[in-house]
Amino acid sequence: MSIIRPFRATDQFKFNNVNLDIWTETYGISFYLHYLSRWPDMCSVQETPDGKIMGYVLGKAEGGREDWHGHVTAITVAPEYRRLGLAASMMKFLERVSDDVYRGLFVDLYVRCENQIAISMYEGFGYSVYRRVREYYGSLGRGAGGADEEDAFDMRKPLSRDPMRRSVRPNGRTMLVSAHDVS
Amino acid sequence: MYRSLLCSTRLFITALDAIDSGANKSAVVSCNKLLKKYPKSDLLKALKALALVRQQKVEEPIALCDEVLASKPTDESTLNAMMLTLRQLGRHNDTVIMFEDALKRQPQNEELALQTFYAYVRTGNWKSGQLLATKMSKQFAHNDNYPFWAAMCAVLQANDFSTPPAIREVLYKLAHRIIASAWKTLDGSAERLHLYLTVLRELKSHDEAMALLKSEQGRVICSRSLTCDEIRRDIVKASGAVQEEGEAAKARILEQGDRNWLEFLSVLDAHCPTSGEKPLPESVGQAREFFVKVAEKDGKKDRSGLLAQLELEKRARAHGIIDDSSRLLALLKCYLETFGDKAVCYEDLLPYVALDSEDLAQWTRHLQMLPPQTDSVQNIQRSINVHKLLRFNLAQSELAPNAEDARAMALIKQYFEALPLGSELPKTELQPADDLVILAAQIFVNAYHISQEDSYLHRAVIVLEYGLLKSAQSYKIRLLLIRIYRLLCAPQLALEHYRQLGIKQVQHDTMSHYVLSRASMFSLAASGDLTYVSECLEASQVYLSNSQEVKAGRYERHSTTTNTRKTADFIVRAFQGEKYSQIANFTEFEDRLDNSLARDLVKMEHVRMRITHEPINADLIDMEAIELKFIFDRAHHDNRDMQVIPNYQPASQGSFYAQTTILEKDPGHGWLNAFLKVYIKAFKLASDLDTTVEEKLLIGDRPKPSTTADSGASLVERLSELKQEELDELTPDELAFVRYATDLSNWLAPYHDFSRPPPAVVLAEANKQSELRAKGINPPASEAGVTNGAVKKEEDPPAIQEAPVSLIAFFDRMQDRFRQLVSSTAGLYELLHVATLAQEALILFTIETLRFKNASLVKMHKFGALVQSFKGIRARGLDVASEIGKELVKLGEAQCTAVKRAEIVDACKDLRMHSQLTHEYILDIAKKITDSRKKVLDGVGKGVKRIVQTHTS
Repeated sequence: MSIIRPFRATDQFKFNNVNLDIWTETYGISFYLHYLSRWPDMCSVQETPDGKIMGYVLGKAEGGREDWHGHVTAITVAPEYRRLGLAASMMKFLERVSDDVYRGLFVDLYVRCENQIAISMYEGFGYSVYRRVREYYGSLGRGAGGADEEDAFDMRKPLSRDPMRRSVRPNGRTMLVSAHDVS
Repeated sequence: MYRSLLCSTRLFITALDAIDSGANKSAVVSCNKLLKKYPKSDLLKALKALALVRQQKVEEPIALCDEVLASKPTDESTLNAMMLTLRQLGRHNDTVIMFEDALKRQPQNEELALQTFYAYVRTGNWKSGQLLATKMSKQFAHNDNYPFWAAMCAVLQANDFSTPPAIREVLYKLAHRIIASAWKTLDGSAERLHLYLTVLRELKSHDEAMALLKSEQGRVICSRSLTCDEIRRDIVKASGAVQEEGEAAKARILEQGDRNWLEFLSVLDAHCPTSGEKPLPESVGQAREFFVKVAEKDGKKDRSGLLAQLELEKRARAHGIIDDSSRLLALLKCYLETFGDKAVCYEDLLPYVALDSEDLAQWTRHLQMLPPQTDSVQNIQRSINVHKLLRFNLAQSELAPNAEDARAMALIKQYFEALPLGSELPKTELQPADDLVILAAQIFVNAYHISQEDSYLHRAVIVLEYGLLKSAQSYKIRLLLIRIYRLLCAPQLALEHYRQLGIKQVQHDTMSHYVLSRASMFSLAASGDLTYVSECLEASQVYLSNSQEVKAGRYERHSTTTNTRKTADFIVRAFQGEKYSQIANFTEFEDRLDNSLARDLVKMEHVRMRITHEPINADLIDMEAIELKFIFDRAHHDNRDMQVIPNYQPASQGSFYAQTTILEKDPGHGWLNAFLKVYIKAFKLASDLDTTVEEKLLIGDRPKPSTTADSGASLVERLSELKQEELDELTPDELAFVRYATDLSNWLAPYHDFSRPPPAVVLAEANKQSELRAKGINPPASEAGVTNGAVKKEEDPPAIQEAPVSLIAFFDRMQDRFRQLVSSTAGLYELLHVATLAQEALILFTIETLRFKNASLVKMHKFGALVQSFKGIRARGLDVASEIGKELVKLGEAQCTAVKRAEIVDACKDLRMHSQLTHEYILDIAKKITDSRKKVLDGVGKGVKRIVQTHTS
């Protein structure tokens, strides 16, 4: 039982239950306003019937002609609302907008190489690793997790404009690039 | 000649580079050299002003800007440099005028028209925006955005609080006319459609709106855009097409697999609306059949089908349609069976478990029959849900403290049994058993609430701290601890946990109240520890970087980012990118942040702390008088997040948040107003700046008023009236303080007003000082106001009235209160509350009598008798404060004894049945609590003593 509705600037006043979780970053006000002033249709919230935010997704459309695509910037679900399929429905939403509105070739996202739970989840949604980005999550030195902690997988899922699946490849995990090549 | 030109060009490039790279000092040097050659160049003046303003200078750039503005520039580079400078100076209105003038000179210049439009948007001048955009739509017809800009501005003007209702409709009609004539049926823009629909919804033009929605264009856009779909639902509901929408929703649910709860609500509204006529039982039956089908199809995959049945049953019962009295209970059981292993289960079922006695008995029996299981993650979750559901319906009679204690102990036992299941989880993960410890702590807090015995709070803290050891990232456990530590008068521990939450950005606005609410009573600023003062400043940063607030002129020079209005920039961007759906919400966001209640509650606390450690002088008085006055005129929004803290107390009890609110009352709008009135009155009396002087001294625009309320009454009238709703939010001690402050200022006002130097004298002095500042010399802060001299008046001074007896009576009262609290078992925080209010009253006395320290003034106006009468009051205040100071230090020492620690350890003795909760572990926490209490009692005590010293005369 969750309501899917657009993310609004004023949701910043009520997303604490989601953002106080350590895996969710609270960005500056400009960050949210930037997304909303450019891609409001790619930002959505799931909330309970009495208005508590359960999770949200923020996305954007980017790339040149050859790799025009939807990008998942942030997707998060508050701990108490996990295992309800909310992430799946938010990803579906973003894919639909990337496909129908922005006519993107694919949707992509970045995930920590060590985050096996998330990687399996995205694989379940039809995403596959396109490349491994070195030191994507900062290069402050390796923690206990080693390279997997600071490297990211760039995962992609082709949309209807890419029926030949040109935007993905089977051996993505072995394709290494550095962080400044992708940002 | 040629060489000289080349040289100048080089110098010019150097200046530009310096500005770009932030080398502002060298930019000023280059500009000065060039200005010798080209003394009339607007561009150079503008660049110099920009470089100066970026060095936090104020006076000189103001003068430069005035010169450039007077010459009405039109060249793009000068305008840009001026725009940046004026913005930093908070002179947005001057930016508007500058662009308007430039546009008048070059009316064909589209770029100038755009810049003027953006300047209107930045200042929220929607009316001018609308007129200009309309003009632009005709003049620059190649751009089809302009009519929509005009319409959007009309909508924003209509929504402004200051627009009268009759004009509102006129504006919406205007917006309608503009859009209807610009509308293209092939336009695929969701944003334009959204704007169109917004206007139609407001005008209740349902037919036109429905036609638009049913068009191919409307259907396609709504299927892709959540914002359009949202407004579509509103319009459908308002137009009464509920049945049609219900059928469409069924199709979306069945055929497209849509599980948005809004679709289910559409079906529910079609078959069994919450209000209006009683639906036909057959109609309810059809809906049920549909939801049953969905639930069967989805099984455990989605909760919507089953929850829709529960909602339907609830609605039908409200209408008196009960064809099967056992259905509600059966549905509840079925839901619990199917989704009991999800954390959300309790929250999902809450709206449906307020049952009548027979159902309740059966439901409770059912829940009690389910044995707690701790053998798998799913079963723990199931048990947690059962505990929460059982607790929700506990009656008052079942809540005796010992019964509650037994419940908590049972949960702690299960917690320890369940812990091993999460032992392999990485440190960053939450433990599946966390809620058991949260529940146990909440039960202890309820027992405390009923018995008022601190020992229950100690027990809660012991188990929560353990929970945090195992689940270091649980913000919920931390929030509980923050609340409890404040109740235990261990604010340092609360603050440490708060800092661990990693509060950032906008969260400061919604969360800071957890530690800063009434924080001045815990502040040790008077004894030199500025922890809370800096916490206030840190929490306020988010407003400064996003504010439209005026800088308090020459009195506020810490931050030039104050006026940057980031949100306004994004509103401009939203216009540029035609994201109309966002603009109204951006405006609302900015308004809620600028006029945040939390912001000004923190500000008030900051002032209350500030006066305990800073010298009371004209700078402080003038600046706070101005700042607080601006705050007073705000219509505040309460953004504080009180929902984020979990509540598992029974429906018959107050929430956990309410039970842990210190002094049982959260400061709100009324509290803020009462304290603002106290301080504005005091600072205004003490200040030499009257309104006319203030107007001349302030730089930048005044804040846009956010309210029209009380506009008829003068500031003095508004300050003197204390409303009941304001007094209701005060504690009895605060009320006594406010009454004391009122009597004090009423008594002294005539003497202040008589002896305040005339505006011309104050202004002359201020100008002298600002000239010094412009030359880089910092004038010394004067003690007795901007002017030191007294100015003789022709009329007779007001007769000296005797001091109101209430002033001394206030200090007597506070002494009694304090003594009484020391000998009682009341919470230590209450003691600090009384102590800090007594201290505050003493400081307030100094603020309001400061002017009369000037001996020549007293002599000239024959105020000798008045000054004499201060002595008795001050002496009484000092007496009471000294006693309080000494007593607090003594109490602090008493905290740090083995006896005090043993009290806590003893109260938690039985918790040691769990081998993890060792004696050492409990003792360690007991020590932390007593240390923290000692620190605050001792620190506040020493602070009061120091204040006694500084305020002796």
